[in-house]
Amino acid sequence: MDGAVLACTDGAVLPVSQVFDAIRELGNGGLEQWDPLVLTSASLLSKLPVDSSSVDFVILIWLSIDCPVDQLIQEILRVLKVDGTILIRKSSQSAVGSFDKIISSLENKLLLAGFTEPQVLQSAGIKAKKPSWKIGSSFALKKVIRSSPKMQIDFDSDLIDEDSFLTEEDLKKPQLPPGDCEIGSTRKACKNCTCGRAEEEEKVLKLGLTTEQIDNPQSACGNCGLGDAFRCSTCPYKGLPAFKLGEKVALSGNFLAADI
Amino acid sequence: MKGMRKLLILYASQTGNALDAAERLSREAERRACPFNLLSVDQYDPSLLPQEEAVIFVVSTTGQGDTPDSMKVFWRYLLQRNLGQRWLSGVLYAVFGLGDSSYQKYNFVAKKLDKRLMDLGGTTIVERGLGDDQHPSGYEASLDPWLSSLWRMLNMVKPEFLPNGPDVVIQDTVLIDQPKVRITYHNIANDESHFSSASDLTCLNMQIGSARSMHPGKSSSDRSRPGCFLKMVKNLPLTRSNCGKDVRHFEFEFVSHVLKYETGDVLEVLPGQDSAAVDAFIRRCNLDPDSFITVSLREMDDHNTHDSRIPVKLRTFVEFSMDVASASPRRYLFEVMSFFATAEHERERLKYFASPEGRDDLYQYNQKERRTVLEVLEDFPSVQMPFEWLVQLVPPLKPRAFSISSSQSAHPNQVHLTVNVVSWTTPYKRKKKGLCSSWLAALDPCDGIHVPTWFHKGLLPTPSPSLPLILVGPGTGCAPFRGFIEERAVQSRTNSTAPIIFFFGCWNEDGDFLYRDFWLSHSQNKGVLSEAKGGGFYVAFSRDQPQKVYVQHKMREQSQRIWNLLAEGAAVYIAGSSTKMPADVTSAFEEIVSYENEVSAEDAVRWIRALEKCGKFHIEAWS
Repeated sequence: MDGAVLACTDGAVLPVSQVFDAIRELGNGGLEQWDPLVLTSASLLSKLPVDSSSVDFVILIWLSIDCPVDQLIQEILRVLKVDGTILIRKSSQSAVGSFDKIISSLENKLLLAGFTEPQVLQSAGIKAKKPSWKIGSSFALKKVIRSSPKMQIDFDSDLIDEDSFLTEEDLKKPQLPPGDCEIGSTRKACKNCTCGRAEEEEKVLKLGLTTEQIDNPQSACGNCGLGDAFRCSTCPYKGLPAFKLGEKVALSGNFLAADI
Repeated sequence: MKGMRKLLILYASQTGNALDAAERLSREAERRACPFNLLSVDQYDPSLLPQEEAVIFVVSTTGQGDTPDSMKVFWRYLLQRNLGQRWLSGVLYAVFGLGDSSYQKYNFVAKKLDKRLMDLGGTTIVERGLGDDQHPSGYEASLDPWLSSLWRMLNMVKPEFLPNGPDVVIQDTVLIDQPKVRITYHNIANDESHFSSASDLTCLNMQIGSARSMHPGKSSSDRSRPGCFLKMVKNLPLTRSNCGKDVRHFEFEFVSHVLKYETGDVLEVLPGQDSAAVDAFIRRCNLDPDSFITVSLREMDDHNTHDSRIPVKLRTFVEFSMDVASASPRRYLFEVMSFFATAEHERERLKYFASPEGRDDLYQYNQKERRTVLEVLEDFPSVQMPFEWLVQLVPPLKPRAFSISSSQSAHPNQVHLTVNVVSWTTPYKRKKKGLCSSWLAALDPCDGIHVPTWFHKGLLPTPSPSLPLILVGPGTGCAPFRGFIEERAVQSRTNSTAPIIFFFGCWNEDGDFLYRDFWLSHSQNKGVLSEAKGGGFYVAFSRDQPQKVYVQHKMREQSQRIWNLLAEGAAVYIAGSSTKMPADVTSAFEEIVSYENEVSAEDAVRWIRALEKCGKFHIEAWS
């Protein structure tokens, strides 16, 4: 029986020996007598120079680390006969392991383009079939539902002691930035303070509000009445709710008022 | 156009900080036109990791250097020895950790993850970042420069991810992001129609579950409906008034149905918000409290018709799922508010707060002062935000976790809690109170309020009756041990039980000696704590004399007794404040092992570590 074979590659050169290796991979020894049509730089073509439904087998020797573009997959589907087979495998010049990264998305691309029966091969390849029905048919995609992460773990396997990841440096606490003794800053003086911070803090505390400041608030910068978001760091009204200048600061009635 | 992969952002969040940082990362990626996926670690299959091009991890450290709950399965997968050194070859990654240097194991999860990913052959985009809550500016002091380095380095190694380059200047005219949620208003004439056939308790349960399940801040592992309802039957002070502390003993009874719990379990309580605060929030934001709403994520458009969401009143939604009067908002709220501020001086100030230059001032005004959302909104009266943004940005109302301080064997229909009523003064001298503890303390047992609760396993596993115990629990750390001792007292009536030695600490003997009569009664007349049975009860009063006496000092006095129990195979349980006590107590144990065994300090450290590995050394601590 006579058949047609199309061999494509995205590289500039395609050795004939790789083509025949791939043909042998399809499991049909008789194909060795066929004369394949070879196309190079296939990813640059927008249209394959072959009639629709005229080819029995398409072999794609892939060199790049990226997936073949969708347009190329569609073109291969067009030129294949009904029940024809596509085989995609990596070139021997490809980087080691690069094909493994794209194999699962390649499988998805084939399914989305309309191929059926995707099958990942041991020799880092994938093959699929053009369906035997016509445009407009439908059938359910039978894909295995991915198991949850828990099932992936082999509980009998040896686990690494996670404490071995920590070095001496990791056990140290970070150094907080200097300037901690600035008055008004975050930390309070220790109970047995010796650096003089406690005395400085007491001075700051004594700057309380006077009766005049409560009854008749004034502000040179105009921000004291707006609330804590706008006040200066030394504003005597810090902690009080917003008020209007010239009016008495109202502490009752607002349930958010500070409890002084 | 090639099939471009996306930048994967994985976060492992326990209290929401890692989620907040990861969301900020995703917003910055979106502005740079970088394609990304944002997922919690438990939503991602770790076996797919080798197929990613670039992964950013944002991970918190919780408890005592523990991985967050959402990360445990993922981390266990990564620890498999059969994953080779080239498993992640070609995968770029970066790690940012959020931690608190007041804990012993500062950012351990991020450090271990960074090392493990490198051992598996991954390539770092940028050196790991470690955020510290103790920094004067919080964790953002490390996050800001780390993000700048991340975008710059990512642009060098993967420029296709950042078609607009690493630096994006946001113009004034740039529109803000879209809110994540969509609000649907429903026209329901009879508000009783949905719940009229249900009892009051079932109605409350459905309302709480409905409101909380729709909130976007709900993590996938949260349960929206309360596990059960409790009513308070006793509210007793354990401390003398004016001693500087207010610790309460609460007793609850099951109302709906009795759930089983064990000693060492944790009870989560959903706090009730002040009605006046909720009303003030609704008024301030011009909302209609009686309208019926459903809330859904904007990205779930195609699934929306399949939802079976129950409309709830807007006020119910705010009351049960939005924390308006306790938690501080995130930095992003100020950024979004700046777009809605109509007064010029307010908009300028909000932009300043949201910028890197204003980070320190924002931290002082917001985080250090524990500013609430309501207070922030009242300080910026010209801001009127759509309710969608408020739902997204107001912190979710979170249940609070308490160690159960009772044994169900001793109190079959009851749960007891020991709660320190929290209050403090902010740097600006404003008085603040803890939301849940103050609410519980104000509950009157005669009111019959139904408290929504959930039961969880804690970090302290339930010991068997034949296991000797060494308990160290100063202050409210004694709460779970009250349950332990009650349980063993019940067990000892029918079987012989192993001894318990307990070290308690407090400030003053006559001020805050919690459960004094309970401990003393069990330490006499061959009780489970008595020295006659091989146990003991020892108290350290730290402020009754000029020099400090802490639990570790009492432990050293009982060095031989402790070693005798350890030699019998005793388990150690430590509970209390996280600042210095666990480290000091662990050091005391190491000294005791070294002294009694006449071995070196290094051998003693290894001995304690082996005890921890085989599950006989437990610490439960809180800040």
